[in-house]
Amino acid sequence: MAETKGGKPISASQQTTGTDKAVVTRRQFFRRKKVCRFCVEKIDDIDYKDVKLLSAFITERGRIIPRRLSGVCSPHQRRLSNAIKQARNIALLPFTTR
Amino acid sequence: MRIYEQLFIVRPDATEPEIDSFLEQITGVINGAGGKVEKLEKWGIRKLAYPVEKRHEGYYVLLQYSSQPDVVKEIERRFRVSDLVLRYLTVRIDEKLKWLEKRKRQRERRARQKPAAEPAAIPGEPVAQE
Repeated sequence: MAETKGGKPISASQQTTGTDKAVVTRRQFFRRKKVCRFCVEKIDDIDYKDVKLLSAFITERGRIIPRRLSGVCSPHQRRLSNAIKQARNIALLPFTTR
Repeated sequence: MRIYEQLFIVRPDATEPEIDSFLEQITGVINGAGGKVEKLEKWGIRKLAYPVEKRHEGYYVLLQYSSQPDVVKEIERRFRVSDLVLRYLTVRIDEKLKWLEKRKRQRERRARQKPAAEPAAIPGEPVAQE
């Protein structure tokens, strides 16, 4: 696409450099698409007793990792956050750690 | 009848016979009201994620039973009254189990459909190319 666009308006050199830059910056900010771990591994049961699984989705300070960082899909994030909150209530996971 | 799950933390300095007799009381309540204990697991002493009543460890017990809703009320009352129990969590799980069962069936159905569709598609391709 960039080549054909650049080939037509040769006189307008500014435009071609502009598109080139856009391609470069897009590549710089390219990130691997995150996939939901629960969908991939087919984990239906997000249980509050499963501390090992849940602790992968909280930070060191005990906060729930947001969806935009972990890539979990929204139905699973909802179940996950509910499970984490239940686990917190029974002292399996921390509310905070100072 | 509904299925409930209760996870509770018993004081870590309680002796084994003390815990056993307490659990017997609880199961007695369930059986007396026509319920049925389905699972009783002692996880033993675990570290708590944060101190509860100035204790850093707790003896976890997991109890699963099916009963009428009023049994839960009675058991929770006993948990509150008893000085053995530091904290408890009651979850109704029959709907979750049903949902899980449904998901499992869906997965199996999809798994059965897929292998059936593939052998049909593969012999079809060479015919089209020829």
